[in-house]
Amino acid sequence: MARRGILLVAAVALLLSVHAAGQGRGGAQNAPPATARAAAAFDMTGYWVSEVTEKWRYRMLVPDKGDYQMVPLNPEGRKVAAAWDPARDQASGEACRSYGAVGLLQVPGRLHITWQDDNTLRLDADSGTQTRLFRFGGSQPPNAEPSWQGHSAAMWGGGEPRDRRDGFGGPAQDPTGRLAVIPAQRKESDYLKVTTTRMRPGYLQKNGIPYSGNALLEEYFDLFSDPYTKNTWVALTQVVTDPQYLIEPLIMHAHFKKLPDASGWDPTPCRADEPR
Amino acid sequence: MRATIPLFALLVLLAGAANAQFAFAPPAVDLTGEWAPRVYNTHMDIGDYTGMPINEEGRLRAQSWHPDQLDLPENLCRPHPIDHGLRVSVSQLRITNELDPETRLPVGLRLHVWWQEPEQVIYMDGRPHPSPNAPHKWSGFSTGRWERNTLVYRTTHLKEAYLSRTGVPKSPKAEVTTRMHRYGNLLTITFIIHDPAYLTQPYIRESSWILDPNQVIPTYPCEITPEGAIVPAGKVPSFLPGQNDVLRDFPTEYGIPFEAALGGAETMYPEYIKKMKTMKVAPRTTTEHYRRTQ
Repeated sequence: MARRGILLVAAVALLLSVHAAGQGRGGAQNAPPATARAAAAFDMTGYWVSEVTEKWRYRMLVPDKGDYQMVPLNPEGRKVAAAWDPARDQASGEACRSYGAVGLLQVPGRLHITWQDDNTLRLDADSGTQTRLFRFGGSQPPNAEPSWQGHSAAMWGGGEPRDRRDGFGGPAQDPTGRLAVIPAQRKESDYLKVTTTRMRPGYLQKNGIPYSGNALLEEYFDLFSDPYTKNTWVALTQVVTDPQYLIEPLIMHAHFKKLPDASGWDPTPCRADEPR
Repeated sequence: MRATIPLFALLVLLAGAANAQFAFAPPAVDLTGEWAPRVYNTHMDIGDYTGMPINEEGRLRAQSWHPDQLDLPENLCRPHPIDHGLRVSVSQLRITNELDPETRLPVGLRLHVWWQEPEQVIYMDGRPHPSPNAPHKWSGFSTGRWERNTLVYRTTHLKEAYLSRTGVPKSPKAEVTTRMHRYGNLLTITFIIHDPAYLTQPYIRESSWILDPNQVIPTYPCEITPEGAIVPAGKVPSFLPGQNDVLRDFPTEYGIPFEAALGGAETMYPEYIKKMKTMKVAPRTTTEHYRRTQ
């Protein structure tokens, strides 16, 4: 009798657990948000200013020609860097090379982030007067010509179910036998991932350190509030993969402080010989 | 017998609830493993305080720092403070689970860095920080929690140390809030340093590592030479105020206005680029200066 009771309790507990799982993210009552805006892990909209705490002389000044000491540049990349001529870039309409998607957020300045529509996050930068569009929903690169900002596919990351089974070594299944996501496996998205391709060749730094048209830019945005000033920040990690000029992927960082309004917004054109 | 069944059921439910709520929060993300550093940072030069929100007191102490201090016996095998050691030198990183020695239950994570082998334990079992009078250590005392998928931990009880390899000071009043975020096989750590003694605002900086299961972190043997072997016994190398004769080499070599190289919060924002255009820049006559790489 007691054994039957135990089995009954165990069966009910498992059913309740899996039933609850069915009501979660994939369940009918909690269908996933229809738009990226509704599913946003955090609100990045508003005005932001870059705060330069590292690589200061590479960002607040135009570094010297050939100064690539923190970039894993290959011989071909070094050759291109050695041929950098800002006057030629300015004269030939290539002044925006250092304001392309890879370099733009390293250039000190202000950002204005808005939702262009429910599935497109728009980032305007006053430095170089550039616009990046982060397109959600599995957007594919168009066949259009490459551009300075390229094509950016965006997703809210971190919500993939954690690698955990039912706690006893077996897979969790729903009553029909399908693999189920139990509550303990669920996670909430907490970062923005942006993957950018189809860029025009540009510069990683203002001093002509190149990236090619085949470069891949992966970016991770983390939003947080610091516990000391309560300011809101976005920390950005960028990974640039470009076998044409780099011996290994280059990782760069930047962070931005949220501003209450547009004060200080200072649109400037692309300038080949200025830091911003 | 009939009364036993509901009682047992209650126990099962309570056990389940306890399992879900035990003191150590199950990890949202697995951070354990071998992590290879991707170190691309600056601040290796005497006189380079760029991008640091230091105040006058911090600047004065930084200017009195002499590189020969590193050769004093007590400093030869000294580890970096953990927030600094994770960013500079050769910071191969190993993260393991920290188990209670008695119960073998997880209580947090342990970080191990190659250079000078500092260890940092991040307790996640809800224990409080010790009294302010408790001993300060190179790795301090850390407690953490999960914010969604980000490990956020607070470190206090850090010894007096420095923010750069070239003597910009950090006081024992400083504390560091650290955010550790895993993006696939990429680990990014954001350090938020708060020091009421030497900083005017939090100092934020980031570093990244790549997962490298084949990484082997060697031991770091370090031998202290006898007093007087490198620096004359009894001497503490330093510069008196206004007498640091190598301070201007860094800005001179790179064409930076001297005032800009001295740091401060104002220098960290885009508006300062315009201001620098009105400042005097010394002729670039120097091509060499002191640099510390570890």
